[in-house]
Amino acid sequence: MDSDDSVTDPNPHHPDPSLDAEPATVEQMGSLTLGEAGDAAGAERPVGNGFLPADFYAAAGEIEVVEEGSPVSGDLAGPSSLGGPGACRERSGRGDALPSPSSSGYAGERGSSGGSSEIEEADDRETMLDDWSRGKRHPDEDDGSVSWRKRKKHFFILSNSGKPIYSRYGDEHKLAGFSATLQAIISFVENSGDRLKFIRAGKHQVVFLVKVPIYLVCISCTEEPYEALKRQLELIYGQMLLILTKSVNRCFEKNPKYDMTPLLRGTDAVFSSLIHAFSWFVFSNPKPKALVIWNPATFLNAYTCLPLSYSTRQAASAILQDVADSGVLFALLMCKNKVVSLVGTQKASLHPDDMLLLSNFIMSSESFRTSESFSPICLPRYNPMVFLYAYVHFLDVDTYLTLLTTSSDSFYHLKDCRIRIETVLVKSNVLSEVQRSMLDGGLRVEDLPLESSLRSRSLTTPELSSSQSGIGGPSGLWHFMYRSIYLDQYVSSEFSSPISSSSQQKRLFRAYQRLYASMHDNGTGPHKTQFRRDEDFVLLCWITQDFELYAAFDPLSDKALAIKTCNRVCQWVRDLENEIFLFGASPFSW
Amino acid sequence: MATTGNSSINAKLVLLGDMGAGKSSLVLRFVKGQFLEFQESTIGAAFFSQTLAVGDATVKFEIWDTAGQERYHSLAPMYYRGAAAAIIVYDISSSVGGTPLPCLHVPDA
Repeated sequence: MDSDDSVTDPNPHHPDPSLDAEPATVEQMGSLTLGEAGDAAGAERPVGNGFLPADFYAAAGEIEVVEEGSPVSGDLAGPSSLGGPGACRERSGRGDALPSPSSSGYAGERGSSGGSSEIEEADDRETMLDDWSRGKRHPDEDDGSVSWRKRKKHFFILSNSGKPIYSRYGDEHKLAGFSATLQAIISFVENSGDRLKFIRAGKHQVVFLVKVPIYLVCISCTEEPYEALKRQLELIYGQMLLILTKSVNRCFEKNPKYDMTPLLRGTDAVFSSLIHAFSWFVFSNPKPKALVIWNPATFLNAYTCLPLSYSTRQAASAILQDVADSGVLFALLMCKNKVVSLVGTQKASLHPDDMLLLSNFIMSSESFRTSESFSPICLPRYNPMVFLYAYVHFLDVDTYLTLLTTSSDSFYHLKDCRIRIETVLVKSNVLSEVQRSMLDGGLRVEDLPLESSLRSRSLTTPELSSSQSGIGGPSGLWHFMYRSIYLDQYVSSEFSSPISSSSQQKRLFRAYQRLYASMHDNGTGPHKTQFRRDEDFVLLCWITQDFELYAAFDPLSDKALAIKTCNRVCQWVRDLENEIFLFGASPFSW
Repeated sequence: MATTGNSSINAKLVLLGDMGAGKSSLVLRFVKGQFLEFQESTIGAAFFSQTLAVGDATVKFEIWDTAGQERYHSLAPMYYRGAAAAIIVYDISSSVGGTPLPCLHVPDA
């Protein structure tokens, strides 16, 4: 379970006299009220997740149903869906014959859960190691299964006639009754001209997103803020559009009871890897040790670049531009979820969400790695109605080139383009630089320059790390994320040793997520800065017209020092911007 | 279309059939000599090439391994246009009533 709900600052509005830590930024920093929460020892735990004012939910929800203390499993199971004796129908054989996490992955298909029959996702740590990308987990469950009801986070897609389309857990067809219940709840409210945003039931939050004729529902007890869950539903909807386009709506015009599940066949891995990116996901390859990578793009509305020297990225961009001029709509070179270079023709620009959904689709579909492929793909933010055609080719294990075009018969042209690009990338050493950067990782807080005189250091010149290595960066800095608003890009530091454990990283992710939501909350915000201390971290967020900075420090850090350190981080990022951001690829005018 | 050079022939070959029938397994066996017990679903269509010596001639196959999912059916003509040969694959153990080709919608052309 998460223990990250210990935020102790329900009322962060004391003016703080120590703001003059850095004179240069006092105006910005000073324009908002910083408050320091009580220290961890004296922390009182507010009801709810604590990050939001108590009246947040009342203010945000047009409709709020609160049923304190009633477990959701009993309350949400529809009339048609048991709840009675059926509740014990869990298959007892589920834990049998499970492969070890190190087995080949393929054997892990069919919902194995890493060996334990314990209801997993108590911290789905080991479980997804071998099956997060292998299709649906626990297809034998339904809403009568105890295990199904105990899942911490469900996602459903259904049609507005109540037909199930997708469920994260369990077989969609067995969940027909449950889907019908969700549909009944939604349409009951819609019929009165109102709109259901969410329901709270004890620890659970049920979030609804209506995209007629499609309904999306999340049932979660992860204590993530409503805005975060809603955004996740939006992304799931976008992922569905990427596969099918919005013209799928026409099927429902002809036949409201249309069964859409066959259209999504074979895409479970795509959705489950997206859902894992909402919190964190585990790569078991190539290193034997589990590596936790979370994807802040799911809530930051930005993408991130692989750090590369300016000239290397320029070389990649030049050859992509060359190709784009020959009738390619977008040429995108990525390494895992990081952009190496991106070029679009003329005024076309690629939205960060489309990049996130496209890279998730490509990375989670094993088929793309087997050979070059040519597939219809829709970019929902670019045009949700039409298919583009994507030529996808993996240049090495992690690096892939995607060429998007509007013409369905340009495969051979794109294949030629790819051969040209690949030749240039290999010759100019771009590919080897990419691989090196992948190994080296990104910014490390330990490398934060101590003095402004050291600013001009380059990322690519290895340096001695400070004497503080092993305990994070200077002034107790543990981690930061910097988002350039103008560029729609973010850069995130590597995890320093104090947050090397996956549970600590997950706590940090959730803390950032809530910090983001509270900073962008329409009811009380937007805010410019926030300083917050709890038993896990000191968190500092600073938003200006140009950037957003999120930083995590040792919980005992001094506030004035933390503010000073944030200024240094911003300066450092600006000094390195040519290496960590992509400039001038295309106009990002969103 | 099969084009004949001196003694080399280019031939476009397309595989069609419902999902799970075994199209990708056949192609992978033919092109790479591999067989995976659990073959992931193909997305869109995957392109392979394989060159074979047949007597004096060399045949270069350009192979389109199409995805069998329903959502891709309307795109099949895009892949089989101009093909010299098509292999229609079906699963003898699951085909109902001996209709091997429920997926194949012959286009107007």
